[in-house]
Amino acid sequence: MADRAIVDKIIQALAEYLKRDASTIKAAHHLRDDLGLDSMAVIELLYKIEETFDLQIPDQDLVGLATVGSVASYVEGRLAPAKPTAKKTANPATAKSTKKRKA
Amino acid sequence: MASRVVITGLGVVSPIGIGVSTFWKSAMAGQSGISTITSFDPFPMDGYRSKVAGQIRNFSAEQHIGSSHGDRVDRYAQFALAASREALADSGMEMEKESPHRVGVIVGAGMGGMVMGEREITQLYLHQKPHRVHPNFIPVITLNSASGIVAMATGAKGPNLTISTACSSSAHALGQAWHCIRTGQADAVIVVGADASITPLVFAGFCSLRALSSKFNEQPERASRPFDRDRDGFVMGEGAGSLIVESLAHAKKRKARVYAELAGYAATSEAYHMVIPREDGEEVATTMKLALKAADVSPSEVDYINAHATSTNIGDAVESKAIRALFKNRADKIAISATKSLVGHTLGAAGAIGAIATTLAIHTGQIHPTANYDDPDPDCRLGGLSRDPQEKKIRAALLNAFGFGSNNAAVVLKRFRA
Repeated sequence: MADRAIVDKIIQALAEYLKRDASTIKAAHHLRDDLGLDSMAVIELLYKIEETFDLQIPDQDLVGLATVGSVASYVEGRLAPAKPTAKKTANPATAKSTKKRKA
Repeated sequence: MASRVVITGLGVVSPIGIGVSTFWKSAMAGQSGISTITSFDPFPMDGYRSKVAGQIRNFSAEQHIGSSHGDRVDRYAQFALAASREALADSGMEMEKESPHRVGVIVGAGMGGMVMGEREITQLYLHQKPHRVHPNFIPVITLNSASGIVAMATGAKGPNLTISTACSSSAHALGQAWHCIRTGQADAVIVVGADASITPLVFAGFCSLRALSSKFNEQPERASRPFDRDRDGFVMGEGAGSLIVESLAHAKKRKARVYAELAGYAATSEAYHMVIPREDGEEVATTMKLALKAADVSPSEVDYINAHATSTNIGDAVESKAIRALFKNRADKIAISATKSLVGHTLGAAGAIGAIATTLAIHTGQIHPTANYDDPDPDCRLGGLSRDPQEKKIRAALLNAFGFGSNNAAVVLKRFRA
């Protein structure tokens, strides 16, 4: 489990984005299946998270950022590069949720 | 009875060649026009996730337009002007012999005059000197600047329209020209698709949308790879394509060479999402079906599809699914190619450049390769895709174009029979 402060910040960002009470959002929630974010919404959320934590998230790292907890673990890894990142525990089955474009 | 509509002239400005003969030679050789963006002078590319694009490096307004018309318009409209001049010359249509109000101009453009647009906005916000905003800012960024300048340069005084539906813009321009001629509003229409917005802000915007390929920044020629398993987003391109379309009676009267017949068109909306297509592909299949119906062409006559195929994960998979749903067991027998594998995604120009490739495929029986189709993605495997050139006598062909805003277009072209 990622650092609680990071999880809370991400939940706060999500709560603002989704306009819902932060207490109803859990670390285990799946961004798409539980919170109803489509691929564009995930990208908007990550944009917000990049700003909150002063990060740039490469496209390749989007794979696996499927739950609130996995996003938090990833952010924690990026803030402390010595530690393993969420990328290594990514679930490939979720890759599609962040790669949808029509253009 | 509605007039038959034919294509009699072609012109192109593309990352693989300025001029149709260079473009087609490069296309048939499977040459990639994708290269590294070295900088957005004066600042470096460090912060950009994607660093590759289909850039046109050897365009000179003086050389390719050669008149004062080019001075007051943005890069995309200069491309439009150069392409339409070539198309007009290729068609042999002499404007001084035409009734000017019977010749129209219909342009498809997605982004428009972003070179000057970005520069002027930046200067205003930085220096806060409104009196220093360039007097040409408004005429240049107004989205019909290209259709305006093409009319001024050619003397075409008929319907003068601009269609902006993002990446499907110029497929609709071609379709609307078809309607325009069929219903007798014009004898001929100069159709153009143009965009030139590999600019710092637009490029950053597409990066932020996570729409662009970023995996092949070190190997730019490999970045645009429609239907391949390794694809990871589209590659921005710039350019213009132009087609002269006219009624068959008008073409016959002036003894014009006919490349192909423009036989039908459909325009639909998925009414679904700004940037995501419906995953089941039903709307794409419906659009193709409606275009074939409008053309009175049976699916069994379709021998070639110039796919929209931008090289995004979802887009290519949806289009493949739609082709399979519509053509069923014939789907693997239809030759398919993706022009964007060569030039990148030229946005508003994409439909017109794809239409040129389709027209030439019908006319020559040669189909250009789909570059980088090295490892077919099982999600979009279609038998007619190839990284090699193909030879085929084409009876009818489909051109697909889909755009942000839930927008779809399909155009049917046919081998011309008098």
